[in-house]
Amino acid sequence: MNQEASSAAATKRIKAVIVIILVVLAFGILNRYVDGKFISVSNFNVLITGSAIPTFVAWGLCFIFAAGITDFSIGAVLILSATVGGALGNKMGYPGLILGGILVGMVLLLINFQVYNITKIPSWIAGLGMTMIYEAVAAYYAKLRLAQGLQVVQLDPQLRALGHVPAVYFLLAAGLAVAYLLYNRTTAGLNVRAVGSNGTIAKMMGIHPVKALIIGGLIAGFFFGIAGVIKESYAGRVIAMTGLSSISTIFLPLAAVLLSQVLQKYINIIIAIPIATLFISSIFNLLTLLGVPSGTWQETILGVIVIVFGMIAQRKEKGVIK
Amino acid sequence: MVQNESILQIENLNKSFGPTHANKNICFTLKRGEVRGLAGENGSGKSTLLSQIAGILCKDSGQMQKDGAAYDPKSPLEANEKKIAIVVQELGLVNTLPAGINIFLGRTDQFSRFGIVNMKKVYQAANEQLEKWGLPAIPYHRLAGEMNVETRKMIELARALSTDPDILILDEVTQALSHDNRLRLYEIIKTFKEQGKSIILITHDLEEMIEITDTISILRDGELIGTETSCEINSDILKTKMVGRKLDGEYYRADAEERYEDEVILEVKNLVSEDGLADISFEVHKGEILGFCGLSDSGIHAVGKAVYGLSKLQTGTVCLKQKNIRICNQTQALQNGMAYVPKDRDHEALMMAASIRENFSMPSLDALRGPLGYLSTRKLNRMAEDAKNLFNVKCTGIDQPMNGLSGGNKQKVNLGRWLLKDPDVLVVDCPTRGVDVGVKAYLYQCLKNAKEKGVAIVLITDELSEAIGMSDNIAVMKNGKIVKTIKRSSHFSEEAIIEVMI
Repeated sequence: MNQEASSAAATKRIKAVIVIILVVLAFGILNRYVDGKFISVSNFNVLITGSAIPTFVAWGLCFIFAAGITDFSIGAVLILSATVGGALGNKMGYPGLILGGILVGMVLLLINFQVYNITKIPSWIAGLGMTMIYEAVAAYYAKLRLAQGLQVVQLDPQLRALGHVPAVYFLLAAGLAVAYLLYNRTTAGLNVRAVGSNGTIAKMMGIHPVKALIIGGLIAGFFFGIAGVIKESYAGRVIAMTGLSSISTIFLPLAAVLLSQVLQKYINIIIAIPIATLFISSIFNLLTLLGVPSGTWQETILGVIVIVFGMIAQRKEKGVIK
Repeated sequence: MVQNESILQIENLNKSFGPTHANKNICFTLKRGEVRGLAGENGSGKSTLLSQIAGILCKDSGQMQKDGAAYDPKSPLEANEKKIAIVVQELGLVNTLPAGINIFLGRTDQFSRFGIVNMKKVYQAANEQLEKWGLPAIPYHRLAGEMNVETRKMIELARALSTDPDILILDEVTQALSHDNRLRLYEIIKTFKEQGKSIILITHDLEEMIEITDTISILRDGELIGTETSCEINSDILKTKMVGRKLDGEYYRADAEERYEDEVILEVKNLVSEDGLADISFEVHKGEILGFCGLSDSGIHAVGKAVYGLSKLQTGTVCLKQKNIRICNQTQALQNGMAYVPKDRDHEALMMAASIRENFSMPSLDALRGPLGYLSTRKLNRMAEDAKNLFNVKCTGIDQPMNGLSGGNKQKVNLGRWLLKDPDVLVVDCPTRGVDVGVKAYLYQCLKNAKEKGVAIVLITDELSEAIGMSDNIAVMKNGKIVKTIKRSSHFSEEAIIEVMI
C-alpha cells in the first residue's frame, strides 16, 4: 500500500513538472510573437506591480472562504479603504494612508461578519446588501467632492511609493510571511478553518464559532485594507462604482484563489496564491501585448478562467490512506 | 481493579428535546477503575446521557458530581479540563485540517509561542500519544478528510486520550474498528483500568460489552432500569431487559450449510484498483451471501466500492453474468439491478439534511416518474409512507430530516430504500454499524429475506460473528488479496478466520 502511495505521489510530481515545463514553453513561444517584450525585467516589474492588489485580495478571500463565507462586498470594501486611506494619507502622510486603509478594511469586514452572525441570513445575500451600501457611501462621497469642484481623492504623488517597485516587492514578501503564519501557524487561523469546515465539531472541540469567525473577518479585512492602500498608491485615485459593478473587481483574485485550490495539492495555498495571481496576470499581459482588446475579450477570457479553475478545484482527489 | 471510591455521581438527571423526554431522573454512580457499559435500544437515551456527562449537551435538571465536587460542564473543553473525555458516535473531526491538528484542536495554544503554533511540537505530541497507548501510526500532516472511517476514529481516540482523562467515554467506537484495532482498544481499556481510571462505553455488540465491562447499566425509553454485574448476566437476558420483552426468532441464520442456486449472478475477475485491491476474483450465486472479512488494511471495504463501479480499476472486470453486462460505473450498476450500502452511512450514503421521503425515493425516481418526467408528490408520499411502515422507521413523519433519526432508523432507511427496488445484487458494507440488537435482528431478517428471494449479497463486515452468522461463504482478505475462501459447511470459527487474517 505504501509503495502504491509513493508511486501515486511520484506520478503527481511528474505531472506537475510537465505542466510547469509546458507553461514555460508556451510563454517562451508567445514571447517571440511579441518581440521579446514579455520576458524582460521591465515587464516583470509591471507584472509584479499589477499582481500585488489581486494577491492581497486573494489572501483575504482565502480566510473568507476558509470561514465558509461568500462575500461579494470585497470590491466595495477595497474602494472605500482606498478612498479613506487616500484622504487620510493626504492629511497625515504614510501613517494615515496605511492605517486608514487597513482600519477601514477591518472595520467593514467586522460589520459584515456581525451582520452574518446576527441576522443568520446566507452570507452571499447579506454580502450583496452590504455591497450596495458601501458602493452608495463611496458614490455619495464622490458626489460631495465633485459638488465642491474637487476630484474624489487624488493621493499626493509623494505618497505613492507603495504602489510601485520596489516597495511592492517588500509588501508582497511581508504579506506572504504574515498570511502564511496566520493561516497555517496560529490558533486563530486554525480555528477559522475548523469553524468554516464544520462548525458543530469545532464547537465541540471548544472553539467559540462567532469569535473565530470574527477574527477571520478581521484578518481578511486587514489584507483587503492593504490591497486598498496599494490600489490608491498605484492609481492615485479610485473611482466609486455603483449598481454592484464593484463585484467584478474581485474576479481576478477569485480566479487566483480557485487556481490556488488546484495547486494546494502540491504547495500550501497561501504560497500558491502569488504564483496563481502572477500566472493569470501574465496571461492578460500577454494578451495585451498580442493586441487583444481589454474590456471585451480579456474579460471573456477571465470569465472562462474562473469557470475552468473552479471546475478543476472542485475535483476531489480519490483514495484514502490505508 | 474496581475501587469503592466513586468518581462520578449523577442524581435525578433530566433532559428533554421538545416533547421527547430523553433522560428521566437518571441516577448513576461510577467507581474508580470501573468499566461501565450502557445498554439500550436506539433512542433509549444512552448518547444523550453521555453527551451531558461530556459537556456536549447541558442538563435540564439534576446534579452531577465528580470526585465529590459539583460538576456541570458547559462544553466538552470544560469536561476535558475536569478530566472527562469522549469519543463520539458520529465522526467528529474537521476534514480540512491535518490529522495532527485535529488531535489538539481547541488546545493549540499550549504549542504556541508569540501566537505562532509550533507544528513540529504538535505532531511530536500526537506521536507520543499514539505510542503511549499503542495506537497505529497516523500520517499527521494529511488532512483528516482524506482518511477512512477507521483511521478517523483512531484520531478521535487519540484526541480523547491526549486530555489524560480520568473518565473516558466511548460511544459506539468499536463498531468502526476492524479486529486488530479492536484488540488495541481492549488493551487501552485494560491499561486504563489498571491505572484506576474509569470508562463508560456504548457498544451494540452485547457479547463484547459483557466481555470487557465490569458492570452494565440498562436504559429503556430514557429511564435507567437497572445496573447488572457483567459476569452475572448473559446476552439473552440483557437483550430482554433492553427491549422489555423476549426477542423471538433466530438472530443469525440457523442452518449450517451453504445454500444457494447454481446460477452465477455476479462475476468479478482479477480486480486491481488504485485503492489497494490486488487481483481479486470471486463469484456470487443467486441467493448466496458472500462475506468479506479481514484486518483494517486488508482492503475489504475497497471491494464494495470497486464492485459497484465507484473506484477506478487498473485491471479486471465486474460482470452481471445473467444480463451479460460489464459494470464500469455506478450509474450502470444502479440501472442494472445493483445496490450498494456503504460503511460511512452519514457521509457516503444518506442525504442528512434531506427528508426521509427524499432519501427513500432517491434510488427509485426512475420508476416513480410519470410522463415527461413528472414526479407526483402523491406518489412520492405514498411510496415513502409505505416504506416507512414496511421498515418500521421510528420518526415524526416522512418529512423529518434524516439527521434527526437515531443510527438504527437511519440504517433502516439506508438499506430499505435499496431492498424496495428488488435488486439482483446487494453489496452491504458493515450494515449493522451503530445499530442496537432489535434493529440488528431486523436488518438480518431483511438480508435473510433478500437471500430467499434470490438476491446475490456481498456482505463486507468488521464483525466476525456477523460474517459467520450470515454468510454462505467467507472470503478472508489480507493485503488487498483474498487469501482464503471458507464454506459454511466447514463450520467456520472465529479462531480459524483470525488465523488466516493475521
